[in-house]
Amino acid sequence: MTNQVKISGVLVNKQPIRYTPAGIPLLSFALQHQSEQIEAGMRRQVLCELMVVALGNLALEIDKISEASQVIASGFLAKRSLKSSQLVLHLNKIEY
Amino acid sequence: MSSSPNHASNASQNQIVNVALDVPLERLFDYLSGNLSLRIGQRVEVPFGNRKMVGIVMGFSQHSDYALDKLKTISRSFDDEPILDETTFRLMRFCADYYQYPFGQALLAILPARLRQLKPAPMLRIFAYRLSPEALKCAQLQQQIPARQVVQRKLLLALQEGEKTEAQLKQLSSVWQKALMALMAQGWVEKFEWQASAPTHFPLNAQTLNAEQQAAVTGVLAQLSQFQAFLLYGVTGSGKTEVYMQILQQVLQKPDSQALILVPEINLTPQLEARFRQRFPHIPLVTLHSHLSDGERLHHWHQAQTGRARIVIGTRLSVFTPMPKLAIIIVDEEHDASFKQQDSMRYHARDIALVRAQQANVPILLGSATPSLESWQNAETGKFKRMVLPQRAVENASLPSIYTLNTATLPLQNGLSQPLIQALKVRLERGEQSLLFINRRGYAPVLLCSACHWIAPCSRCSSRLVVHLKQGKLRCHHCGHEQSIVRQCPSCGNADLQATGQGTQRLEETLVKLFPQAKIARVDRDTISRKDALSDLLDKVHAQEIDILVGTQILAKGHDFPNLTLVGVLDTDSALFSPDFRASERLFAQLMQVAGRAGRADKAGEVLIQTSFPEHPLFTALVQQDYANYASKLMEERAIASFPPYTFMALIRAEATQYRDVDAFLQLAYAQVRAQAKQVTCYPPMRAQMERLKGMERGQIVLQSQQRGALQKLLSQLIAPLRESKLASRVRWHVDVDPMEF
Repeated sequence: MTNQVKISGVLVNKQPIRYTPAGIPLLSFALQHQSEQIEAGMRRQVLCELMVVALGNLALEIDKISEASQVIASGFLAKRSLKSSQLVLHLNKIEY
Repeated sequence: MSSSPNHASNASQNQIVNVALDVPLERLFDYLSGNLSLRIGQRVEVPFGNRKMVGIVMGFSQHSDYALDKLKTISRSFDDEPILDETTFRLMRFCADYYQYPFGQALLAILPARLRQLKPAPMLRIFAYRLSPEALKCAQLQQQIPARQVVQRKLLLALQEGEKTEAQLKQLSSVWQKALMALMAQGWVEKFEWQASAPTHFPLNAQTLNAEQQAAVTGVLAQLSQFQAFLLYGVTGSGKTEVYMQILQQVLQKPDSQALILVPEINLTPQLEARFRQRFPHIPLVTLHSHLSDGERLHHWHQAQTGRARIVIGTRLSVFTPMPKLAIIIVDEEHDASFKQQDSMRYHARDIALVRAQQANVPILLGSATPSLESWQNAETGKFKRMVLPQRAVENASLPSIYTLNTATLPLQNGLSQPLIQALKVRLERGEQSLLFINRRGYAPVLLCSACHWIAPCSRCSSRLVVHLKQGKLRCHHCGHEQSIVRQCPSCGNADLQATGQGTQRLEETLVKLFPQAKIARVDRDTISRKDALSDLLDKVHAQEIDILVGTQILAKGHDFPNLTLVGVLDTDSALFSPDFRASERLFAQLMQVAGRAGRADKAGEVLIQTSFPEHPLFTALVQQDYANYASKLMEERAIASFPPYTFMALIRAEATQYRDVDAFLQLAYAQVRAQAKQVTCYPPMRAQMERLKGMERGQIVLQSQQRGALQKLLSQLIAPLRESKLASRVRWHVDVDPMEF
């Protein structure tokens, strides 16, 4: 099944790096997205904020990117936890 | 016809000898004496099948059920003297009958390991070392040794505290021998043969007793010449040990008399040992517990068995130590669950101590701040004489104030509520010590997948694996299974696994973050595995080198910390709703004990208990520190539910890799009980609380009766046919009489 998201925006609210019990680095941040899109042939504004999480080397890489940088994030969506309906973007790749 | 006991067999006659062996059969074994001159109670080596075994000579007879030419001959005898006598045989016969355990196995199990080996075990000579008179006169002894001789200085420093045995010095350095030789060559140190009595430089004088303590001492002393059980019910810090010591002082005035003191926990022995040694510097004293080397254990056992040691302090197994001039038995913390042996012969050392005292016709004193309901009941019916110490012994010391903190309404910061954090802060500012009690070692009790709620299970037990973060391990606290922490959830693949809940390691980590300037120490089974780790740590606490202690129940008992004024208790609620009917009795005792660590000297103590159920009757009673009241409430519950001490219980437990084998065996046992039982209730087979343990499926049946005798009679008829049954060979099974756990 397909689950692919690619979205650009400003990296904000970067959390301190933490480690899973097995020692895998993990970092979460938010992506502030602002763009203009076409919908049913009509032009419209999009403003949204997305929770993003990165694991492993990607987490270490993002730790070096400064807050408020413009980035392009690609990955897949998953629920925040079993009981939550909130979605989180899990990062596979980041361009900045 | 048997020859008279203790009489040497006539060597020329080649008699038939009855020998007890460590074999799971109910009988003794017949051998020929050959040309050996043997005595009852002597240790022998006999051929058994195609191997050799150690046995104990139980008697001599003229006839055997076997043909004489089929009997084998005893290979050799060990030791010159018998090591056991009729007193011990009688006690062990009782135990074997009562606990439905083969006599030979019971008897051989009480011997120190060295005496169960196929070799002679002569009385050991243990050597010790002390400073020479010249060294004692020398004012600046350390300066006499060049600074680069580190080990020599270390040994000298240790010897300045007092004499040391080889075993003690060995722990200081791996090259202790060379350094010691050098010190002896220079005349600073001398060697001597160690005796169980150890004169000390700091004799401890008797303290003045308060009226209740005095009444307790007088009460026991009035009945020294016969069996009588006393229950010394004294609040924490009420000076029970002082009562024991003043009683002993009198008892031991009688030449040769011996005293047996049972303590629940091996960790308490060094402390108690030190106090007794200081108090009775000229009376030979030995300890018996599992931290001794085999050689030390044998030596101490010999000292007790020959009557040379006059005070024996030991853990549960020492209840069987032969003591020819036993004059009194003291059981400290008599309610403690560790007095119950949980494998082989499942005896309860307190109960055996009572039988032993009765057989020896001597008094027995059971002490506790929270007596077991069994003993409480015996005191209520007048079987035991109850003596009460209602107040703390140290002048100006009062019982701590106990409060509950409702975790259902208070927000928690990594398991700690704000009032508790505040209280810790106040203690730090005042330079006083705190203790946080959490009965779970490790970092977190559960590893949880937040995405699918998978929980790391033990593959061999129905339990969860505990996270040990620093070691990067998941461990099962039931079977010892250990594995690396999984990188991702095996069920859904999520890598962001959560260590959930609180353990000692995590609490320590939280405290370090909250109070970076505080000196924090963690005490649990993982930190005290080294032999002297606990005593080193306790020394640090006494030297005020530690501000906050985080620990498990290891810290709950017996320790006296004068500057400790705050006790915090976390996460005990699970015991409130345990299916085990003894869980609340145990929790109350444990919390009372741990609360008792606060404010033992002249500073007032405070105890804060975090719970989601502050209205639970257990906490109400705890806050009022009214054990008597709570005990009578529990007794009512037990009476209604027909639980001990109002009834007597036995369990038949079985386990196998397949539950159907367990069930088949238990169904058989159940049917047989039903066929025979009058006055005994039996419930159908059920799974044990821990359904799987170490890869075995477990089940049990419960037998219950108003009359101990009826239960005993049934068991004695039941066990032999069960042992013979085919189904029994497919399972591992045992009987647990008076079980403590389900």
